[in-house]
Amino acid sequence: MSAEPTVVIRLDGDGFVYRPGETLSGQYWIVSRDTSPVKAIEVSVLWHSEGKGDEDMAVHEFWQRDADELHPIDPGQPERFRTTLPQSPLSYEGQMIKLRWCVRVRAFPYRGKELVGERQFQLGNVPPVRVRSPA
Amino acid sequence: MPWGQRGHARGTLPLDAAESFALARSFRYYGKKRGNRRTGSPALGRAGEAIFWAVLLLLGCSGTIVLLLQFVVPEWRVNHEFVTTTCKVVDKRIGERRGEDGPLFRPEIKIEYEVGGTTYRDWHYDIHHHKIGGGYSSGRENAQAVLDQFPLSGTATEARYPCWYDPMNPYVAVLVRGYRRWVWWAFTVPASFVVIGAGGLIYTLLQWGKSAEHRAVMAQRAQERDFFGANASEPSPYLFVPAGTDITSSPGTRLSFRLPMTKSPGWALFGALVFCVVWNLSVFAAILIGLRMAGRFGWFLAIVVPLGLIGLGAIVLFLRQLLVAARIGPTLLEISGHPLQPGGQYRLFLSQSGRLTIRDMRVSLVCEETASYRQGTNSRTEIQEVQRYELFRRPQFAIERGVPFEMELDFSVPEGAMHSFKADHNEINWAVTVESDMVVRPNYKRSFPVIVLPAQGDLGR
Repeated sequence: MSAEPTVVIRLDGDGFVYRPGETLSGQYWIVSRDTSPVKAIEVSVLWHSEGKGDEDMAVHEFWQRDADELHPIDPGQPERFRTTLPQSPLSYEGQMIKLRWCVRVRAFPYRGKELVGERQFQLGNVPPVRVRSPA
Repeated sequence: MPWGQRGHARGTLPLDAAESFALARSFRYYGKKRGNRRTGSPALGRAGEAIFWAVLLLLGCSGTIVLLLQFVVPEWRVNHEFVTTTCKVVDKRIGERRGEDGPLFRPEIKIEYEVGGTTYRDWHYDIHHHKIGGGYSSGRENAQAVLDQFPLSGTATEARYPCWYDPMNPYVAVLVRGYRRWVWWAFTVPASFVVIGAGGLIYTLLQWGKSAEHRAVMAQRAQERDFFGANASEPSPYLFVPAGTDITSSPGTRLSFRLPMTKSPGWALFGALVFCVVWNLSVFAAILIGLRMAGRFGWFLAIVVPLGLIGLGAIVLFLRQLLVAARIGPTLLEISGHPLQPGGQYRLFLSQSGRLTIRDMRVSLVCEETASYRQGTNSRTEIQEVQRYELFRRPQFAIERGVPFEMELDFSVPEGAMHSFKADHNEINWAVTVESDMVVRPNYKRSFPVIVLPAQGDLGR
């Protein structure tokens, strides 16, 4: 087991390429030597842009679990998520713009830094843009 | 090791593992550096935002309180709490004081009235006279008109006028009551500060301590609730794909839709004309002023000459646009279907008018990426063509005036084409372009935007 806390996100299916409208499901948990509870966990299915322009981001699905005295969160316990993916925007690997889809898990411990885990996947099958050689 | 004590850098991980990292919760004055520009500290930014909205709210509240205390409360007391009696007008005059923009005037009427057996005699008019410097305005005629309404109560007439005095301080009396209408209009200024400041502060505080995803969700939900805006219509299943309704608003004569051009040559000509006229008139006026300043023309000339050269450039630009408009007639492009689907087959009709000798004409389907970013205080936009599919090419031919060149062609959108995309800072745009290299310049390029929808096909797994 790693000495550092790690978010594990496992996607069902091939876990990488998904069609628009297809169901994305999987589970997440946190691997850590320390079993200290967390006060909240957020799970997002989102896309964001990378590249030359300022970042654009939109969250397709968002779940938040808040711990209370009666219902503490055990971060080591796998939790499932499931969503139907949208028709767009599709994953894109352009020259100045890249659109990336991912599942992001953010855990907020009672003390210390928050922990973020991210698992990328591809929506659609748009091939990467090839650099055109000058005429 | 407890959580978050140490993180590790983001990197490429195998497919069955998530990329995980710990984020510092401590306050950072500077954000991460992105390329050659710093993004700034989000925490500091939000704190600054909160302070800005709070100051705006405070200003609005202070303005509202000042207006209430200075105008509304005194006028309300006059209308509801002051006691009615009668008075004699024993003297009157126009009060005058020096204002910032000239003299200011107010009517001052000396009245005599009795309260509880005591006779009071002093200068009054309305409640604002009892404030230091109150009741003055720039119109002397207005003050005189008020005085004319109150003839002196001479011994012959003994005319008496209604007046109202403050039961808590009988020295304070007025001859007129009511509310000033402009005061209520004046409330719109601090009220707008209050609304904007409070709204901004609430929004900032609601986002305080939230993750980027949580904030994005809140913003998206707020947009979805915006039923007065564009979201009022039926939501499209294709998120972040422009609707392109303006593209299909004009029916074609041969095919289904006539595509609109990105930039009409008529507008370019008009813009060049306006710039040319305004600039050269300004330079001409500057030369006239310079000529009047005899003896100092030398250094003035040094300024005017470069400006004049720019003016000459503007004339050349305008003449060039005029030449383009005169020689190159309208370009009409019609399409059989829209929006386009990757793999879809479409027909295109092109009509090019004018009197042209063309060396090389090309019709292409072009994809461009547009990225906007902030660099310091500047906003920059960069456009890069990333895909080009040539649909038609014809070298060496002439178009005669009155006989437009017309042709139809079939084309298909490539299977793997990325769909049109539009977000706040990034865009992917498709267009059909018509470009001609002329035997005698200028060449021209006309662009007709189209929307490409996301592919719905099989992934080939």
